[in-house]
Amino acid sequence: MSNLRHLLPYMARYRIMLIIGVLCASVGAGVSALGPYLLRLAVDAISSGGVQMQPLLTFGGLIILVALVDGAFKFAQRMLIATASYKVEYDLRGDLFRRYLSLDQGFFGRNHTGDLMARATNDLSAVRQFLGAGLNGTATAVLTFIASAILMLGINVQLALVMLLLMPLSTLVFVIVGGRMRQIFTSVQDQFGNISTRAQENFSGIRTIKAYAQEDAEIAVFAEDNARYRQLNLRYVLLSGALWPSMALALGAVAALVLLVGGRLVAAGEMTIGELVQFNAYLGLLAFPMIMLGWMVSLYQQAAASMGRLIEVLRREPEIASRPAARPLPAPRGDIEFRGVGIRYEQDAGGRMQEAEGPASGLLPPAHGPSDWLLEDISFTVPAGTSLAIIGATGSGKTTLVHLLGRVRDTDAGEVLFDGLDVRGLDLADLRRAIAYVPQETFLFSVPLRENVGFGLGDGADEQLLDHAVAVSRLSNDLSQFPDGIDTMVGERGVTLSGGQKQRVAIARALTRDAAVLILDDAMSSVDTHTASQILAGLREVMRGRTSIIIAQRIATVKDADQIVLLDGGRIVERGAHRELLRLGGRYAAMYRRELLESELRIER
Amino acid sequence: MSRGFEDDEILGKAYDGRLVRRLTVFVAPYWRRLAVAVALLLGAALTDLAPPLLVQRAIDGPISARQLDGLWPIFAIYAGVLVSNFALRYAHNYIINSVGQQVMQDMRTAIFRHIQRMSLSFFDRNPVGRLLTRITNDVDALNEFLTQGLVMILADMVTLVGIISVMLVLNWRLALISMATLPVLTLIVSIYQRHMRSTYRVVRQRLAKINAYLNEQIGGVLVTQLFTREARSQAHFAELSEDYLQANVRSVLIFALFIPAVGLMAAIGTAAVLYGGGQGVLAGWASLGMLAAFVQYTERAFQPIRNLAERYTILQAAMASAERIFGVLDTPEDVRDPETPAILPSPVRGAIEFRDVVFGYNPDEPVLKGISISIPAGQSVAIVGATGAGKSSTVGLLARFYDVQQGGIYLDGVDIRTVAQRELRRHVAAVPQDPVCFSGTIASNIRLHSAEISDERMRWAAELVNASVFIERMPGGYDHEIRERGSNLSIGQRQLIAFARALAFNPEVLLILDEATSSVDTATEALIQDALVKMLKGRTSIVIAHRLSTIRHVDRIIVLDHGRVVEDGSHEDLLALGGFYHRLYHLQFAEQAAT
Repeated sequence: MSNLRHLLPYMARYRIMLIIGVLCASVGAGVSALGPYLLRLAVDAISSGGVQMQPLLTFGGLIILVALVDGAFKFAQRMLIATASYKVEYDLRGDLFRRYLSLDQGFFGRNHTGDLMARATNDLSAVRQFLGAGLNGTATAVLTFIASAILMLGINVQLALVMLLLMPLSTLVFVIVGGRMRQIFTSVQDQFGNISTRAQENFSGIRTIKAYAQEDAEIAVFAEDNARYRQLNLRYVLLSGALWPSMALALGAVAALVLLVGGRLVAAGEMTIGELVQFNAYLGLLAFPMIMLGWMVSLYQQAAASMGRLIEVLRREPEIASRPAARPLPAPRGDIEFRGVGIRYEQDAGGRMQEAEGPASGLLPPAHGPSDWLLEDISFTVPAGTSLAIIGATGSGKTTLVHLLGRVRDTDAGEVLFDGLDVRGLDLADLRRAIAYVPQETFLFSVPLRENVGFGLGDGADEQLLDHAVAVSRLSNDLSQFPDGIDTMVGERGVTLSGGQKQRVAIARALTRDAAVLILDDAMSSVDTHTASQILAGLREVMRGRTSIIIAQRIATVKDADQIVLLDGGRIVERGAHRELLRLGGRYAAMYRRELLESELRIER
Repeated sequence: MSRGFEDDEILGKAYDGRLVRRLTVFVAPYWRRLAVAVALLLGAALTDLAPPLLVQRAIDGPISARQLDGLWPIFAIYAGVLVSNFALRYAHNYIINSVGQQVMQDMRTAIFRHIQRMSLSFFDRNPVGRLLTRITNDVDALNEFLTQGLVMILADMVTLVGIISVMLVLNWRLALISMATLPVLTLIVSIYQRHMRSTYRVVRQRLAKINAYLNEQIGGVLVTQLFTREARSQAHFAELSEDYLQANVRSVLIFALFIPAVGLMAAIGTAAVLYGGGQGVLAGWASLGMLAAFVQYTERAFQPIRNLAERYTILQAAMASAERIFGVLDTPEDVRDPETPAILPSPVRGAIEFRDVVFGYNPDEPVLKGISISIPAGQSVAIVGATGAGKSSTVGLLARFYDVQQGGIYLDGVDIRTVAQRELRRHVAAVPQDPVCFSGTIASNIRLHSAEISDERMRWAAELVNASVFIERMPGGYDHEIRERGSNLSIGQRQLIAFARALAFNPEVLLILDEATSSVDTATEALIQDALVKMLKGRTSIVIAHRLSTIRHVDRIIVLDHGRVVEDGSHEDLLALGGFYHRLYHLQFAEQAAT
């Protein structure tokens, strides 16, 4: 529960607003408690019979004045406290986002996007609600209660005690019934989750259902789940249906008792009618704040739980970050060396990883032992300005290998050197600035094409660099197809790009970086062969004087590389230039023969 | 997938007679309970009118007369009113919500049932998320409509009219004085609600933008990091967040102005009653008790006025949801059963004939361009060809997931379109390319939810396809829990379960989309191979083959190219032919032969 103490530093930034807000709340509460007092004076004046019109007008005017003053303070209170709560939410959201951006891929592998989103939405708003509505409501309720209590006790202790002791009962009823409701509601929501999972699985597996003519059985099972959901809901309604009626009953009971006890006091001459009316008016004044107070309890519980989830992320240190004494890399040359590099399979981190990734491919779960290396003993050097190609089957670890260079992850054994220095000792931003990477899966943002291409550029976008990148990637061929050329919006609100177009955007994006090292991770798999060869021709120009690493499926793409390595079973099994590997007559040579056959077939068709 | 993050409801009409009439079909079976609920609510609304009246009676009666005992009857009535109000409201809440839950259950099942009848082309058109929204959010909106919408509007009207009537009867002059502020109050409420609605819309839109951006940034975080763009992403995010903050501050402002305005109107009302009523008391046409009662009545009139405007939004949302739900329910079935289905000869032998079949997912672009194939009962056939040659379409057509556009397909000489789909699929089973698993147990994944498959039969099937080895090693064996989409099974395991499922249903004709999965280790691959061979034996089967070993085990190979049969014969014959198959074989399978 003490999770909420982490909120204090955020609140401290707006302490002036919050303190003045609470002050306004207390003045407002005091003033509003005066209204019923004025009402009493007026009623007593009327009942005494000998009243003139003038005092009645004065009382009426004073009642309106009290409402005005009370309103002004309540206005200020709301503006200050609620606005502060939104500002705290803003700050928290910003911190959360900054933290997300700094965390490593391991974190994103373990946590589903949906969960990360939930923290930034539901949890954040639970905390803000507690701070805004909670502080506002609690301040008003408590202070109004105290002010009214003082004034009531001054009139008649007996009647005041009846009210002051019974009114909080409604708060209690709310807390108890509400708490039980939340418990039942959890099971209702779980069942709702079952229903939608069932339906979702059915819709996405409809081919299987239809193939075995199981529609009727599915309907029966769905209907069963659905009926169970209704039953759980009825249990919930049995309770929730009673919540507001019982609040009304509790508050009504107090009103009735006030009428009975107060009436007898008036009849006995111990109290005036005006004072009874005053008590009645306090009933109206306190009813809503008392209920709110009950609501605060549940707001507090939710906020404490939510703050816990937020802190979990905010406290999280990225596994990959610049070290304190990181060396800057002002003029990267692009010398790369892998020295005895090893990578283990992802370990099951707290069970969550398994769920995210699914189990390994075999029938029996793999036993994690010392031999579970995805990559083992990988050593090579790529001198600045030369090129390296990596070939291997799907899942052989090619992408992981190049990820080590930009420190998407770190090695489990050995080291990766950049310009002769261990990448882990370099300034992370400098290192990444020295590398232009075209990933296997292209990720485009829903911004104009121009921004997607110039993603790595600074604000003063270099038009020439951009044009050159667009030309080399042959994206220029397609610009005329888009409604606004390079300024066309990408994504849902704009054009949808084909796989090949996306990849070319990614290539252009990398080229604008003008970096010492260029990495192409199977970057042309969706680009047609004709365009691919055009791009390759252009890239040859770009790659001159740069270090480049190319991962590819087609040998045609890589055969001009200075050195080629073939990965299999986590090790380098063949290495050399294209001609050397053909002479070797091994795997590489077989793959090349097959590729030639394939292109022959394509020509015939 | 960011379902819901960019949804912004489009609201239109608050009432559409056509839609409401169609909705009544769902409510009609429960009209008695609904009528009881409405009656209870009206009763509750009436009991709400009593307390101020009792206060008036108490003050003007026993209290003024200083009769201590005269208060007891009034207190008793007060208590009675409170208890009956509680009982009426609670009973109403329970009954109306139970009707609502019942209607939702019926509606959900009806939508689900209808969706089950749709052909695969419907599922190609409608993403799963959209269909899911129909049976979740849209149905919920209609429940809201039933429990909080129409009925409550009626109750609010009754309360308002009741309060005004009681006041008029009690003292018309005082009634007019205290009602003087009501029109202004109504105006304030409607202005407030108009502004709040539009502000909330802005708030929601800006929140949706934040969420969409956040979602995208989480998805593309690696790109942002590698391109060292963190600072600019943060700046953009701060802008969006700032916009959202501003919209929220605006909503705070509107609310902070509204509450004091209402308070002021109440104060003016009270002052007016005191001033006018005070004169009345002195002049003898009013009493002190009436003053107290009228102050309370004016307060109580406010709630229904405020509610009425809020219910409007509920109605709008319900109409939009009803429109979408009926949109699904009105979609006709593409693949239909005939009125009087033909009966397949018993026993089904499994002879298949494709006669000049033309088919395309889009009728203008045929995938199959006139195919004729005749497969005698019991023969196993592999269909091979390049991607897009029309291989999987043949399977989809034979299982009648889609209907042919020209020509016909015959099972034992009967046109499959004249047979009921259920009957056809009992004899013709298609094993999908992507082995699908559902949450449940291993047993429920093999027999699905069919009652016809016994435990023995299920175990027999699992054993035959080599699945029993790993199943029995799992905790709970056949009762081992499978998670959503089979995420706690490997691909190989899922494949074997899909095979076991096919065998458990024991169809005469088996259609298999055989995808060689690169992510399966060699030992598993061997088990899958072995299972496949067992399944093909003695059964008419069509395999869309990607594995060399599968091809070696079939009786006959049909080569498709661009929607036509180009070669047809045994493996050896076709290889000897030196044509398309020969090259395809070397391209697709030669490397497998090497390993």
